[in-house]
Amino acid sequence: MTFTSWQFGVFAATVFAAYYLPALRSFQVQLLVVASLFFYGYGQPELLALLAVAVFGTYLFLVLALRNRKAWLPVGIAFNLALLAFFKYKLLFIDPASPSLVDFAPLDFLLKLPLPIGISFFVFHNISLLVDLTRQKAAPPTLAGVFLYIIFFPQLVSGPITRAEMFMPQIKPKYFADIPFVEAAKWILAGFFFKLYVANNLNEMTSYMSFPLYETLQTQDRWLLVFLYSYQIYADFFGYSAIAIGLGLLFGYRLPINFNLPYISTSFSEFWTRWHISLSTWLRTYLYVPLGGNRHGLWRTYLNLMIVMGLGGLWHGAGLSYLLWGLLHGLLLVLERPLLARLASIDFAVFRKARMTVVFLCVSMLWIFFKLPNFDHAVGYLAGMFTPTMNPNPTKLFYSLALLYSLPVMIQHLGFRPFEGRLRWAEPYLYGSMAALMYLEAGPETSFIYFQF
Amino acid sequence: MSAVRWLIKCGAAAAIVLIACGLATVRFGSGLQVPATTTRDGTLNALSRYLREPVPNVVLVGSSITFRLKEEYFTTRGLRNLALGGGSPVTGLEIVANQPRLPAAILVEANVLARPPDAALVERYSRGATELLFFRPVRAAVAAYEQRLRPPLTHEQVALDLRRLVGQPPSDFDNRIYVDRAQQQFNAEDPTYVAQLNAKRIEELIRIVEQRGARVFLFELPYAEPIEGSRSAAATREIIHAAFPEPNRWLSIEVNRSELRWADGVHLDERSAVIVAGAMERALASARTVK
Repeated sequence: MTFTSWQFGVFAATVFAAYYLPALRSFQVQLLVVASLFFYGYGQPELLALLAVAVFGTYLFLVLALRNRKAWLPVGIAFNLALLAFFKYKLLFIDPASPSLVDFAPLDFLLKLPLPIGISFFVFHNISLLVDLTRQKAAPPTLAGVFLYIIFFPQLVSGPITRAEMFMPQIKPKYFADIPFVEAAKWILAGFFFKLYVANNLNEMTSYMSFPLYETLQTQDRWLLVFLYSYQIYADFFGYSAIAIGLGLLFGYRLPINFNLPYISTSFSEFWTRWHISLSTWLRTYLYVPLGGNRHGLWRTYLNLMIVMGLGGLWHGAGLSYLLWGLLHGLLLVLERPLLARLASIDFAVFRKARMTVVFLCVSMLWIFFKLPNFDHAVGYLAGMFTPTMNPNPTKLFYSLALLYSLPVMIQHLGFRPFEGRLRWAEPYLYGSMAALMYLEAGPETSFIYFQF
Repeated sequence: MSAVRWLIKCGAAAAIVLIACGLATVRFGSGLQVPATTTRDGTLNALSRYLREPVPNVVLVGSSITFRLKEEYFTTRGLRNLALGGGSPVTGLEIVANQPRLPAAILVEANVLARPPDAALVERYSRGATELLFFRPVRAAVAAYEQRLRPPLTHEQVALDLRRLVGQPPSDFDNRIYVDRAQQQFNAEDPTYVAQLNAKRIEELIRIVEQRGARVFLFELPYAEPIEGSRSAAATREIIHAAFPEPNRWLSIEVNRSELRWADGVHLDERSAVIVAGAMERALASARTVK
């Protein structure tokens, strides 16, 4: 069930209506758990058992680790990483279309299960739960609380990856009067607008980046589509995260902000504090710092950065393209690190804009490995950006449409904030117009890009 | 501002924009041709236009191969090309057959029969009313801008350019890599099952539309040599010719093959498409004289 389907609208409205009934106040957590299981099982009922194994297993290891952290925390983390590795990376070694993979029927069944939606996200939630709660030496939370933290439906499929120490204290009775309706409405409307108007329409154009369609593109259009994809992936993932945050607020939970105008970053390290913030925070907290961070000298810091970004790339998918994407981001972080202080000392507007342009250009080029997970196709696309096209029938793109669909991302990044001053009265009208526009101009339905991770 | 007031204002703004766009649609229709960002968009435009405008004299239905034969390449007035990029000729034929009035001649491409008809598209364009409920303001604005920049062309407007293009030597674009890839694909697919179903459906539809007074001709556009010999092309040819053995049913497109070029071995380049369009018109004129 995707956020943009009418079924989801009915589902969310029903759960919301039941959630604040006084008679059900004592069962709010249980209601959200049941609703989240329904939400997850609606698309992949056969994988509900896996979700249950992940949650019960994590709960068991949490209880054990609260008694003996040193012994059981590594086992709990290994259990979750094994789940992730099995389901996400098995495809590197097997072809699920084969009639029989192994002679042992239960294993054969497991090997043929599809990639569980959101596994990368809920496994990271599980690890955060184990680490945070055992570090605090808190009393074991209730099983329902653990379930809710891991499978809370707004964040289950694509995050934001919420840290346990931030979410668990929020589990308490919720009251209708406390709902920040305007804030929730703004997040939800902005999210749907970015997804339906920007991302889905741009997807129509960037579909030409696929192999072999990209061979019909003119060289300048290959460049254009790289930038359009950059806007699309932002609008798509920002849209999802914004809807998740808005829904979270409706149910009384504040989820972390996942994006903060990433394309105005003046350095790659700044980019990673603005893009998919919940993932980069998770990687820093649970991987980079435990690896030693920057505490063991320059070369070890560089190595740690490469390891973290490489694994971050592989977290997105089992493929050479994703690994290379992560490693190249790691390399950019390593290369800029010695220069950062010197660059920061040059403080004038044109230079800052030039740095923004360089970061945006590099980040956008690296998205090609996301768009084309087949490594050969990605390299072919990149090569085509630097060679003139000879195709006698090139594809025609409408630049005016490209501009109009990209405009919301551009305006947002330009820091245009008229509603914080004298135009504050116009804010609801703008959001209302956005709601109408996303209905009138919605692009063809496509799933959220980050669903595949 | 209270939350309720904020939400009321927000809802009112949304309602006003929707009502304005609804009224604009009632007043002006959604007739402004929406620009195509994809081949499918182009298809929908062509189909919407077909339903909106007077019934033409000749209609082409087919796949992306026929899609390359632009209407302005033909001297015949009132010719519409309803070929669907990535689609089946049966889809176009079904849509035309489901309309209350038929063109005098329907030309059906017989190259690509491995794809099933698009039932959703047939349903959508057979109901008659394809007008959108609401005007799409952004697309309409871009459509107006694009039409102002590049108004639709007639044959008379481009005749000189087309003559000049045909007068030039054929393209020397090296398409070997694309032909090899297409050949592999054509050899890998077995169209037999779907092509047989499609051939049967074409037979039924031809019977229906000919009872209503239209004439139907089949045609095959030339492929590059290696593709002509591929498994898929050969099997399709065999099935459709077995279903329609009468020579009168076919337009015989006579062109000098050495003059033709394909960007990918399958789709004709522009110059070749112009040459083939001319040959088709000659074949049609000759076929229509035979009763």
